[in-house]
Parts: sequence; C-alpha cells; structure tokens
Amino acid sequence: MTQSDDPSWEELMRAANRGDQRAYARLLSAITPVVRGIVRARGGSLGAEGCEDVVQEVLLTIHLKRQSWREDAPLRPWLYAVTRHKVVDAFRARGHRITVPVDDFAEVLAAPEGPDPFEAQDMDRVIDRLEPRAAQIVRAIGIEGESAAETGVKLGMTEGAVRVALHRALKSIASLRERMIE
Amino acid sequence: MKTDDLIAALAADNTPRPTPGARMAQALPVALLLSLVALVLLWRVRPDLAAALGSAAAVKTIVPVLLTLVALWLARGMTRPEARARAQWALVAVMVLAGGLALAQGIATQGFAGLIGALDTPNLITCLVSIPVLSALPLAASFWAMKSGAPANPRLAGVAAGLLAGAGGTAIYSLHCPEDSLLFCLPAYGGTMLIVVAAGALLGPRLLRW
Repeated sequence: MTQSDDPSWEELMRAANRGDQRAYARLLSAITPVVRGIVRARGGSLGAEGCEDVVQEVLLTIHLKRQSWREDAPLRPWLYAVTRHKVVDAFRARGHRITVPVDDFAEVLAAPEGPDPFEAQDMDRVIDRLEPRAAQIVRAIGIEGESAAETGVKLGMTEGAVRVALHRALKSIASLRERMIE
Repeated sequence: MKTDDLIAALAADNTPRPTPGARMAQALPVALLLSLVALVLLWRVRPDLAAALGSAAAVKTIVPVLLTLVALWLARGMTRPEARARAQWALVAVMVLAGGLALAQGIATQGFAGLIGALDTPNLITCLVSIPVLSALPLAASFWAMKSGAPANPRLAGVAAGLLAGAGGTAIYSLHCPEDSLLFCLPAYGGTMLIVVAAGALLGPRLLRW
C-alpha cells in the first residue's frame, strides 16, 4: 500500500512529535480522507456538512490526544480507536445512537475527493465564541495560512506567545464544542 | 471553516504534549512520598517496624507494593485508546483470586469466629479511614496523569487509577498498622482498597472523558 519512498504514518507522527510541522500537516492530510470515510459510512443521516463537522471534531481530538499514541506502536489501531470513540460521542451528542464495531475499519474506503469543499459550520460558530484575539490567531493561521511568526508581527506578539495562544485556543475549542453541541 | 484550514491550524501548534507516562513519572512518586511523610509525621510508623519487616508480617507491605506495580502497568495501558490491557487485568484477577483463596483458607482453619475476633479491634476503623486518606493524593496524581491519555473506557480507567492509589496507600499504611494477622489484613486492606477503587470508578467518567 505504501510506497517505499513514502514515509509511513508512524514515521510522520514521530517526526511531528519532534516538532516537524510539515510532517504533521502531511500526516493529518493523509488521515483525513480515512476519517471522513469512516464518518460517512456511519453517519450518512447527518448529511455531508454534518459529517464534516464530525470529521473536524475527530481531527481536533487526534491533535489534542496525540500523546496517547506510543511511538513504538502502529498508528492505525490508535487512529481507529480515537476515531471510533469520537464518532460515537459526536453522534450521541447529536441524538443519534450508533454503534461502531471495532474491527471493521480495515474495509472502510477513504472518501473520494470530490468537488465538495469540505466546509463545515460548527467550527466557525465555536471560533466565534473564543476571545477575539484567540479567534484571530486561529483564523490567521488556519484560513489565511499565515505562519506563527507572521501572525505575531501583525498582532504585536512574539512567535512563542502566538504558539501558546494557539494551543490554548485549540483546547478551548474542544471544550466549547462539547458544551455547545450537547 | 474548511477542513484543510483546520489542519493548517493544528499543524502550527507544535507545543510538545507530555505523555501520560511522563506525567505519571512526575506526579505519582511525589504524591506517594507526601503520603509517606504524612504517615511518618501524623500516624507514626509502628515502633517495631524493623523487626516486622524482617518477619512474615512483611507480606502485608510486599503484596500491596506488588499490586501497586501491577496497577501502574494497568493504568499505563488504560490510557491508550486501542489497548485492552488484557494481560494486566488478568494479573490483577490472579492477585485478587489468590487473596480470596488465602482468606477462605484462613476462615476454614480458624472459623468465622476467628475472622470476627481478628476484625474486632479499633484498628479496623483506623484502617478504614487512613487508607483512603493516604490514597487521596496518589489518586489525584493518577487522574492527572491519565487525563493526558485517551482511555477508551473512562470508568475502567478510573478503576485502574483507584487500584493504583489504593494499593499505594495501603502499602504506606501497612508501615503503621500494628495488626499482622492474615484474617485482619486481607479483609481490612482489601475492603478498604475497594473503597478507593469505587471512588476511582465514580470519578473516572467525569475526570477522564475526552
């Protein structure tokens, strides 16, 4: 499946744990279609946009819980377990009771890349609830694609302070989401 | 927000995250040490501690220490979402079973009157109160460490935290406890550990949700 010159997901995650942002972005991009495939296979009733909300929630959780992956373990079982946990949780919060069998993800195909822009609504509503500066940082780095350094210059903050603020903002997003959706 | 934008924001956050193991290594020794200091200062170790630890009575300290190590292994496994920790649970089950068999054998030889006689002492109340108190800090440390993990089952993870803290607290309390008989230690220590385990099971879903 993986070509020999392609780093494995495990290698990418290990590099990400050492602070390699490019490897991490690459890994997240690679696992997103897989997560999306699982979510859509389970939650077609939510519609494409509702599914994308759940996909984003799973990605945020993967990010905030990535330290629970042990570097000597394969990444996929961990990834499926996190996805399964979050998908069940997300559907329960939305009033859909579903069960996700543990072992059948191997057969789930990644969602095809289509014209769908994979836009989701929940995340914007949550970001609106953040402190203005935190929201500004998340949007600048995420939507406008700025680096932490550029955002820092714009806001008169050091790069380190931007990173700390971004980290806090992502954690707040996770807890705000939980409160707003339930 | 588009998913690609979210990925960009996530990738920019490369703040290192402490693993549950790292946090456990940080917090648990401190918590156990503080409980030990509290025991030495407030409860005081038994006057004949050196002699007791050199005799068969040392079992009441050694077994909780072993259980603490097994529970540490269990707690570590429970913080991984994909792990079932079957081997760890099996080991806990074997230890519980062995304790149950030892108790049954004690009752078989000395009768229920022997059991009631052994437990009919004010030391039972001291034990029931002291072990949970001495376990409180280790329990907090365990939850704090496990919170950075992703337990697939927060309640069972709470049970593991309770077992870890309860066994640690029991090992510490055993340095004070003047009772050495099997018919006291097994039911009193075991029952009190169950209180801490129950506290862990109640707190787990609240504190370890993710």
